[in-house]
Amino acid sequence: MPRPKTVLLAVLTVLLAVLAFRFIRSGGREDIRPAEDVGAPASGLSEAEARNLPRRTVTVFFARENDDRLVGEKREIPADGVPDREARAILDELLRGSLEGNLSPLPPGTKLEQVFVAKNGTAYVDFSRDLVARHPSGTSAETATIFAVVNSLTANLASVKNVLILVDGEERETLSGHLRLNRPLLPNMGLIAKN
Amino acid sequence: MSRSQHSRVAAAGAAVLAALVLLPAPVPAAADGGQKTRTIVIDPGHGGLDVGAKGKFGSLEKDITLAVALRLKGLIEQNLAYRVVLTREKDLDVSLENRSAVANNNDAGLFLSIHTNGSFRKNAQGAETFFLSLNASDEETRKLAYLENSSAALEGRISAEAKDDVTMILWDMAQAAHIRQSARLAEEIQKELNQPPLGIENRGIKQAPFKVLTGVACPAVLVEMAFISSPEEEQKLIKDEFQNQIAQALFRGIVRYLRLFPQ
Repeated sequence: MPRPKTVLLAVLTVLLAVLAFRFIRSGGREDIRPAEDVGAPASGLSEAEARNLPRRTVTVFFARENDDRLVGEKREIPADGVPDREARAILDELLRGSLEGNLSPLPPGTKLEQVFVAKNGTAYVDFSRDLVARHPSGTSAETATIFAVVNSLTANLASVKNVLILVDGEERETLSGHLRLNRPLLPNMGLIAKN
Repeated sequence: MSRSQHSRVAAAGAAVLAALVLLPAPVPAAADGGQKTRTIVIDPGHGGLDVGAKGKFGSLEKDITLAVALRLKGLIEQNLAYRVVLTREKDLDVSLENRSAVANNNDAGLFLSIHTNGSFRKNAQGAETFFLSLNASDEETRKLAYLENSSAALEGRISAEAKDDVTMILWDMAQAAHIRQSARLAEEIQKELNQPPLGIENRGIKQAPFKVLTGVACPAVLVEMAFISSPEEEQKLIKDEFQNQIAQALFRGIVRYLRLFPQ
């Protein structure tokens, strides 16, 4: 029979190996989290930092099930006053999906790569290729995707006047052949449900 | 000059100024005396590798848009003294820029882009007609477009290099000068799409920043005939009868528009 010390050593070795493997697979990058990771705090801040900040309520827009309107859901984000970080927190909430039975206007698996709010009021939002590759296409779907992003940012951030959506770091003419994407877009508040 | 003459001249001057500022860019259609056969350009949405939206039963948007466009071309050529040019006659990739260029190079009097819609919602149904929306920054280019259309005011005032840039911006926003007529065309077409026997839900006329419309230098609309993402409407869209009825509705809408604005 092996001695207890040997058993403990073996267990520890295996545990260490598993942890090391997971760390290598994650590329050591703390800031990239899968969209499905519901508990994720706003990226760019550690959990502890985020917890210490005051929080504020924002309205994030999703697609309504019974018509083509966008409908707002209230979410709490860390109010750190830095537009880039708040913008990322708002879009993370959008990527988390609806908590109130609405439709998510971003294709599943879409990741947020970069967010940058320029001094002139344009927010640059860079999504992974999934935004295009997994998009159902069609004008209505495109409209929902684009204006859920644009409206969610402009409605909650005074520093954002318009939004330029990038895919995989590049400007695109359109998402799937309809609405022009290669210029900053103003919000379309007419799409928001009145009731 | 007496004081009243002065004020009359001033008033006339103000009126001319107001007219210059308020009127949309002049429409050049009448200039050729109506002798030439005008052209209608029909744009079957998507094509080639770009299949467009897909239906649950495997139908592709690009095939339906081409089928309806060919039917509409037939109807117009049989019944009206217009030449019809399609942006593609086959299953081909055509860039959005080249689609508008087909309209401009053929000096089109009308441009009609045909699509089937797609939604995240499975039960989304209905037909809608779009014309271009301009956002605030486009408003600036609209003013530029007016300048260019109304006179050679820009000549000599800016460097040749800068002028190239301006011309490119103007070209990109050519549709800005035709928004009102495009709205009217959208209205007439949507009215017809609401008529029996089609019986599709009426989603009305809307504005959106469609890339394919921005560079078109004539009245231009984009029609979403029905939702290919709705299994029920997909089944309709692939039927010959429905495609004929849609083509006829589009044809009647075009005729109504041409009666309002003879070319």
